[in-house]
Amino acid sequence: MEVLLGITGKDFTLIAASKAAMRGATILKASDDKTRQLNKHTLMAYSGEAGDTVQFADYIQANAQLYSMRNETDLSPSALAHFVRGELATSLRSRNPYNVNLLLGGVDPITHKSSLYWLDYLASLAPVPYAAHGYAQYYCLSILDKHHHPDITLGQGIKLLTLCTDELKRRLPIDFKGMTVKAVTKDGVVDIQFDDDKVVKAA
Amino acid sequence: MAMFSQNPLLNGASYSFSEAPKFNAPEGAREHRFDPYTDNGGSTLAIAGADFTIMAGDTRLTSGYSINSRFHPKVFKIGGTTSDQSDATLVLSVVGFAADGEALKERLDAICKMYRYRHGKPMSVKACAQRLSTILYQKRFFPYYAYAILGGLDEEGKGAVYSYDPVGSYEREQCRAGGAAASLIMPFLDNQVNFKNQFIPGSGEGHALQERERHPLSRQEVETLVKDAFDGAVERHIEVGDGLQMMIITKEGIEEVVLPLKRD
Amino acid sequence: MSSPFSINGGACVAMVGKDCVAIACDLRLGLQALTVSNNFPKIFQYGDNVFLGLTGLATDVATVSDLFRYKVNMYRLREERQIAPRTFSNLVSSSLYERRFGPWFVSPVVAGLDPKTGQPFICGFDSIGCIDFAKDFIVSGTATEQLFGMCESLWEPDLGPDQLFETISQSLLNAVDRDALSGWGAHVYIIEKDKVTKRLLKGRQD
Repeated sequence: MEVLLGITGKDFTLIAASKAAMRGATILKASDDKTRQLNKHTLMAYSGEAGDTVQFADYIQANAQLYSMRNETDLSPSALAHFVRGELATSLRSRNPYNVNLLLGGVDPITHKSSLYWLDYLASLAPVPYAAHGYAQYYCLSILDKHHHPDITLGQGIKLLTLCTDELKRRLPIDFKGMTVKAVTKDGVVDIQFDDDKVVKAA
Repeated sequence: MAMFSQNPLLNGASYSFSEAPKFNAPEGAREHRFDPYTDNGGSTLAIAGADFTIMAGDTRLTSGYSINSRFHPKVFKIGGTTSDQSDATLVLSVVGFAADGEALKERLDAICKMYRYRHGKPMSVKACAQRLSTILYQKRFFPYYAYAILGGLDEEGKGAVYSYDPVGSYEREQCRAGGAAASLIMPFLDNQVNFKNQFIPGSGEGHALQERERHPLSRQEVETLVKDAFDGAVERHIEVGDGLQMMIITKEGIEEVVLPLKRD
Repeated sequence: MSSPFSINGGACVAMVGKDCVAIACDLRLGLQALTVSNNFPKIFQYGDNVFLGLTGLATDVATVSDLFRYKVNMYRLREERQIAPRTFSNLVSSSLYERRFGPWFVSPVVAGLDPKTGQPFICGFDSIGCIDFAKDFIVSGTATEQLFGMCESLWEPDLGPDQLFETISQSLLNAVDRDALSGWGAHVYIIEKDKVTKRLLKGRQD
C-alpha cells in the first residue's frame, strides 16, 4: 500500500510519497522519506521491494552526483530518466533484478520546463503530466484526468494533491501515515508542509 | 476457459475421452474425462437494411487443421410451416460448435413452428429473439457452445438483427460478425456500415468535427460489403472459406444465394 | 493476458503505395487494463526514409529502439552513408536472432524507400527475427486480427500518398477501436521520395 504521486504544472513538479514504511501488515516507521534528490533540479521517488528500493535509489543518486562533480554540470531530468531506465532495464534481465517503481520529476535548468517521468520495475518509461504508482493509480488517475491542467500554479497543484490524498484516505484500507511532499522549481527542491492530520471520513 | 478461446491449437483437434496420468493414483484407479466441446471454425455476418436483412456465413466446417466439409451451412430459415421452410420469415445463423448449433437451430425451429400452429401467425423477431435468449440461458451451466445471430423484419418492416453470446446475453444491432473471423470483420463493419471514424471534411477540428451522417445502405451495397468482408476474412483466416451462403430477408420472402469463396 | 506481448498493448501497421509507403502506430501505454500514458509513440526513424515500428513489451520497445539507434549511428560512421531499409531489416533480423533463447518481446515492422531506386519497401518480423517480406501491408501488436481484417478489405495496389494516408488511418483507427489494449490516438507517417509527412490523429479517447 505504498503511495507515490507526481503532478507537473506551469513551473514546478510536485512529488509526494507515503510516510509509512511497511513490512507485510506491520508499519515499521511512520516518517519514512521515499525520495532522493539526484541533483539541484531533479527528484526521484521510489517504491517496491524493501531492500531493492533504497539500494537502487542510492546507486542512482551516487551516479547522478558523480556526473555533476566530474562535468561541473547537472544532467537534465530527461537525461537522468533515460539513464535510470537503462540501469533498470539491464537489471531486469540479470540474475536478480531490482523490483523498484519510480517517479522522476524535475525542472529543466535551462528551459525551465517542468517534467515528470513514470518508470515501473520492467523499466517501462513514460513522460507524463501526472502519475501514480501502485493502488494509488486506480484512485488518483481519474481525479487527475478530470482536474489537471498543464499550466496550473504550485498552489493549485497542492490543492490537486490534497484531492488525491483525501480520496486515498477515504478508500485505502490501510493508513499510509500521510505524505512527504516536495516540489521541484527552477530554484531547486523545496519541502512542502502538508497537513497529514486531516481526517477524511468514508461515506 | 478453453471453450471461449478461438485458438484451435490450444483447444486440441476434437472432443476426446482423455485418460488422466496414472502416476500417484491407486492401483487400477483411472480417471476418465469427457470433453464435450469442439470449435468447428467458420464465420457469420448479419447486416440490417431499411426494409431487408442480410444474413451470411461461410460453408467450411473444420476441426483443428482438417476441413471436414466444404459445404456445411450455418444460416437457416426458422419457423416455416413445413420442413422446406418456404414460408419462413426468420433466419438464424450459428457458429462455434456445429453440433450445438444444429441442436439449437432444431429447438428454436420447433418452438417457432408450435407458436405459428397455436397462434395462426408467424413469430415476430422481437418475440423470437427473447425466446432464443431464454433457451440459451436455460443451459447456463452446460451451454450450447454457439454464437447465434437472429435476423428478420420488425413490426414496422425494418431490418432487425439480434446477436447473442453462448449463454443468452443479447442485443439488437445494425450489424454483427460472429465466429472465428469476427475480430477481422467487425471493425470493417463499424467503418462501412456505421461510418465510424468518418467525418465531414472541413467541418472543424477536435470536438467540432461532425460525424458523417448514418443512413441505411441499399441491398446492392450490403451484398458487396458482405462479399468484401468474407474475401478479406478468407485471405487471413484458415478456418474460413469454400462457400458464402447469403439469405436476404424481405417482405416478399427469403432469397438464398450461394457464392464461391477461395478453397485454399 | 500475462503474455509479455500483451501487458502494455499497442498496434502498428505499414502499407505500400505507388512510389510511397506509410507506417502508423497507436499511442497507448497501459498496464493490463489500466492506461498509464496516451503519448507513447511506437515508430522510430533511422534515416531519411527508414522507419521502424515496435509493438510488444514497452520496456523492450524502448531498449530495442535505443539499441538500433546505436547500431545505425555506428553504421553511418563506418560506412559514411545512410542505412538502406533492406540493410536495416537484415540488421534487425540478425540482432533479434542473437537473443534466440531469451528474446526481446517485440514485433517489429520496417517501412521505407530504397535510396537508389525509390522502390517502396516494407517487412515485418517475429520476436526472434524471422522476416516477413510483404508486397501489400504488415501489421503487429495486440490488434493484429482487427488490422488484418481492415487492411485486407481497404487496401488496394498503387494508392497515391493521400489515398494511402486515408487507407492506413482508417485501417488503424477502426482496428484499435475494437481492441481494448490499443488506441488513444495515432501517429501516421507518409514517406515519399524526398518528403516525409507526419500526422497526429486524435481518434477515440476511450
